[in-house]
Amino acid sequence: MEKILEKKRIDDWIAALAAKSQGEWEVHAPALQDGIWTYQPVSGAARLDHPNTRQSPKEFAFPQREVYFSFEQIKGEPPKLTQILPKETRHAVFGVRPCDGRGVPRMDKVFNDHVEDTYYTTRRRNVAYVGLACNKPPNATCFCLSVGGSPVSTDGLDVQMTDLGDRYFVKAITETGKALMMAGGNLLAEAAAADQKQVKQVHADAVAYPQRKINDPDGAPAKLKANFKSPLWEEMARACIGCGICTFLCPTCHCFDINDEVQNKAPLKGQRVRTWDNCQFPDFTMHSSGHNPRENTGDRLRQRVNHKFQYFHENFGMHQCTGCGRCVSECPVGIDIVAVVNKVTEHVG
Amino acid sequence: MINIQDIRDTARDMLAKGEVRTVIGYRRGSRGMPAEPAFITSPEQADELIWDPTCYHNLSLYLVHDSKIQAHLRKDTGAPIGIIAKGCDARSVVVLMQEHYFKREDVYIIGVSCEGTGVLDERKLAAQLNGVQPTLAAFDGDDFVITTAEGEKRLSARDVMADRCLECRTPFPKEHNAVFGEDKTGRQLAEPFAALTRFEAQASSERWDIWSHHFDRCMRCFACRSVCPMCYCEECVVDSITFPVTAQTSAAEKADRVRWIERSATRSENITYLLTRAMHLAGRCTDCGECDRACPVNIPIRMLNNKMEREAREKFGFEPGASIGGSSLVASFLDSDPGEFIR
Amino acid sequence: MSEQQAYEPKIVAFLCKWCSSAGSDLAGVSRIQYPANATPITIPCTGAVSPMYILSAFNKGADGVLVSGCHIGDCHYIEGNFLARRKMQLIMELLGFIGVEPNRFRMSWVSAAEGAKFAQVITDFVEDLKPLGPQDKLRKAERA
Repeated sequence: MEKILEKKRIDDWIAALAAKSQGEWEVHAPALQDGIWTYQPVSGAARLDHPNTRQSPKEFAFPQREVYFSFEQIKGEPPKLTQILPKETRHAVFGVRPCDGRGVPRMDKVFNDHVEDTYYTTRRRNVAYVGLACNKPPNATCFCLSVGGSPVSTDGLDVQMTDLGDRYFVKAITETGKALMMAGGNLLAEAAAADQKQVKQVHADAVAYPQRKINDPDGAPAKLKANFKSPLWEEMARACIGCGICTFLCPTCHCFDINDEVQNKAPLKGQRVRTWDNCQFPDFTMHSSGHNPRENTGDRLRQRVNHKFQYFHENFGMHQCTGCGRCVSECPVGIDIVAVVNKVTEHVG
Repeated sequence: MINIQDIRDTARDMLAKGEVRTVIGYRRGSRGMPAEPAFITSPEQADELIWDPTCYHNLSLYLVHDSKIQAHLRKDTGAPIGIIAKGCDARSVVVLMQEHYFKREDVYIIGVSCEGTGVLDERKLAAQLNGVQPTLAAFDGDDFVITTAEGEKRLSARDVMADRCLECRTPFPKEHNAVFGEDKTGRQLAEPFAALTRFEAQASSERWDIWSHHFDRCMRCFACRSVCPMCYCEECVVDSITFPVTAQTSAAEKADRVRWIERSATRSENITYLLTRAMHLAGRCTDCGECDRACPVNIPIRMLNNKMEREAREKFGFEPGASIGGSSLVASFLDSDPGEFIR
Repeated sequence: MSEQQAYEPKIVAFLCKWCSSAGSDLAGVSRIQYPANATPITIPCTGAVSPMYILSAFNKGADGVLVSGCHIGDCHYIEGNFLARRKMQLIMELLGFIGVEPNRFRMSWVSAAEGAKFAQVITDFVEDLKPLGPQDKLRKAERA
């Protein structure tokens, strides 16, 4: 299904999706707030002129805080556990860039492949990703082409929108995407042959735009493996401050911690909660004995880079990194995953 | 006007003579315009050093890192470590010395004055450039000259320097072993605490609306803490995973360790974290602004510390990082400290 | 018939063992009547009060927090209350800065002989807290 939506009608399409008659979608779109672009709930007006959002849309299926179950201890009885599954509210996320779209199947591999994470899948089946192709690289730091992606990729998306100036070319990628488009009714007009021709050109131009490059992405897994013990890591990570920015902003980073949050009065009552965790925190791999196998920034940088470009590749045949460039632009001290991978793949010895 | 070659020559010379074992400075990063921290360990590397308006990082953080590494390795450090320090950074070094984090003779401070223009605030620059990519920034008198994809742009430093620079009273590194650049102390472009004053003019309920919104957005990435030279505690009391353990730590000790806040990044927990941090930095923060710059969601972290700094100055006559022999704010008192609020 | 429960603010009171805690005991043995809204926590000295205790009390749901110790010059540890005077000023300003109602945190000097004063401090605090309602700005949300 390929349609045309006039830019000024996007507000109406969103309003239609939010309407009860259409099954009530909770719609989110990028908005500029506090100087950054973030996904905000919208009931009507939305702009899609953002570069990319500061945080990735992974929070829709993998929130910072997820409650697993509640527990309550009544005296003399075994504790009562009550599973708390996420609500089945449907979310439609607009303005998803192709790099973030490609993050979705990568997260699916982790949470839905050989084991099923019910919390993830409940949320996942209720999120629709409405993508926006990149006519030109939205940031100076993106590099999707280097990791098997593209500024016009539809991987992970339910709908792909392409900006044609005064209107959008809207293409359904999945059945859910089709349903979203049908909810727009007459707001979306049939795409003409001329529109399709224009889209083809816009897409071709987008892919031809120069980007930062990982020089040898295919050679990365083997080279990273060979350089596990290299002193290069310590050197490249010397400036690393051990914060959580790269990992928390990444569309595919998914490490988590589980804790019980207990109320501070009798009876013993609380919740088991999953929160985001971060392999860059110094104590991430601290053992109960006090030994920390990754106590240096070099070890931790190597862990993240290897996970993205070696381990994930070995497990699933694809790079985990989607080239969104957030870790590169937001690192306070300039650690640059593109430079790191290039340095390792070009390292002799 | 600073000639970078003089700084490079100093570094090269000292490294060659073994007078310092490392020089922590700035070099061109791989992302284009911004500088990045550099760790020069051999004379040949000295030419990597740069000095431009993107040298905003507070390198004294790496003195802390180095101290920890040396302590862990448990060997004699040998020669002192050299550090390129701006006026603000030099005060951080002083605070660390006040707290006996390292001795004065362990650090060779290569002071570099911003000569009153401060350093770049990239958010302000982005607003001025409106989508055009900058590739280089340079000091030029009272201006910054920005090279972009569309040619050179000259901007008055006043328009794109960090807020903390506008309000700064110490643009010259008082504590130093060697120093480059002119002393422009006294040339302050905005009233101290100007941004804070503007904020405090609002009613209490408005302030709560603004801050609660920020606290909701915090994702507890701890970048503010990680980038701060004064947050050097191995065990951060508000962070439940930083409990130092050894093989001898008992299960009971681990189970009973106080968890002040949950790991959930929710408003109440974020408030406890951020306010505790502000209190722990009271009298120690030298307004390097790194916490503000590092925050990925643009929370004005610096304002919390600024508030503490103004209280310290106005109520207790206290200046963080003024002199090495100085006392700490919360471990000292004056008979004249105000007490009218106490019933 | 169901009765509407009037709001009773919960106060967490950090009382130094040598003066204020003893003062609260004196109020008790003198049978001075005063509202029972305060949960006392004895600490060795107000100088030992970490700002974390105050923030944690609010985090756990306290409607008001009191820190009370020896009068200036009378501290059992000589200087503890001087240090407290500084620290508490800072935390008080910080809380007010982010928009927490100033009346929710207070400090007092109550000696071991001032049972009546202690009772008055608590009574005044409860009266001042009542119109503010329950503290929900810093409190950890109780979830289903």
